[in-house]
Amino acid sequence: MIANTLTVILVLAGLVFFAAGTAGLLRFPDVYSRLHALTKADNVGLGLVILGLMFQAGGPADILKLILIWVLVLAAGTTAAHMVAQRTWTHGEFESDR
Amino acid sequence: MSLLLVIFDLVLLAGIIGVAWRCLASTDLFRAVVLFITFGLLLALAWVRLEAPDIALAEAAIGAGITGALLLVTLERLRSIMAERHSGRPHTPPPDPSGPHALLRALHDPPPERHSFFPALIFALVVGSLLVTALWHQPQSTGLEPVVDAHMDVSGVDHPITAVLLNFRAYDTFLELAIVLIALLGAWSLGRHDLIPARPAPGPILPGTLRLLVPVAIVTGVYVLWAGSHAPGGAFQAGAILGAAGILLVLARPRQLPMAPGIPLRLGITAGVALFLLVGLYGLGAGHGFLGYADAWAYPLIILIEVAATLSIALTLVALFVAGRPAGDDA
Repeated sequence: MIANTLTVILVLAGLVFFAAGTAGLLRFPDVYSRLHALTKADNVGLGLVILGLMFQAGGPADILKLILIWVLVLAAGTTAAHMVAQRTWTHGEFESDR
Repeated sequence: MSLLLVIFDLVLLAGIIGVAWRCLASTDLFRAVVLFITFGLLLALAWVRLEAPDIALAEAAIGAGITGALLLVTLERLRSIMAERHSGRPHTPPPDPSGPHALLRALHDPPPERHSFFPALIFALVVGSLLVTALWHQPQSTGLEPVVDAHMDVSGVDHPITAVLLNFRAYDTFLELAIVLIALLGAWSLGRHDLIPARPAPGPILPGTLRLLVPVAIVTGVYVLWAGSHAPGGAFQAGAILGAAGILLVLARPRQLPMAPGIPLRLGITAGVALFLLVGLYGLGAGHGFLGYADAWAYPLIILIEVAATLSIALTLVALFVAGRPAGDDA
């Protein structure tokens, strides 16, 4: 019961970060601030969702797999954000449609 | 009632054949493309009549929708290329506000965006309520689940999805592998040799991450392949993971990678289909039917096919991404 409640609270909190990150991606004016918004969803949002799901895991192996997923997304997301930022720094922003 | 349905079916059949004939016989390419889209929609109706709504949806979306759009875009490119050849200067589409060009331009440049909140809100509400209704009215029928469960002990594996994919309905999976192979042959037959240009990654971050991610991807891919016999997983997922690792490698440092030699690459790409076919033919010869296994041999044969299929899928995905035939084998 407590585990289920914790799961619901944590996953919902994670979803709030995802919603905020998505809103930022859509509304923020330039690449850097959009990246800044996205990292919130990747890092904290997914972290909270994973933490919530851990209470439903069947055993230590499942928990380790969940942590591994989070670490992998962190590594990949960080690298992708770095490359997007680097490209913008050297080549400027893409032609915007505004 | 049934007489009406028979008449409907006959009209539908006649329509499908007629539209197909007009499509093939048309000398005007634009008309042929429009007829092809019509053909796809009629075919979707036929699938509905055969009580296969899933296939009807796929046919309407992929066969009529996406393929039609692709054909229209190709047609427009073809026209501008031909016009360039004729006049010797870049082609600009005529400013014709109506007619076929309007549709083509609409495909290329979407109309200027009006920032209105309500259409999006209404759309989201409609789609959302549709999804909720669909969830609410889940059909109570168990489908083929009991049949699969009853035969799990002869399937050779412990996971129902793998049992269906590689034993009960192995024919479908075999054809899927063949389609993946044919897609690659199609890409190769376009005759491109230019590989992705070398784009050295700025800074140490990307190579460092790859050094971390690629071994993890290989371990995960092999694990997912192995897990397929008793848990969700299998050749397609494992192949996708390994293929993603390969594409990352190709993207990040194309210069340092040795070019794959032609013959082993081709063997690897065809291994899945070839081995599947061999096993299937053996089953036919041994009296289990095409793609049937003896019960005792099911597990090793399935694992063998899955390993070969994983290799083929991973190689095919990377080769499709690179999109060029291996250099220097025009023989």
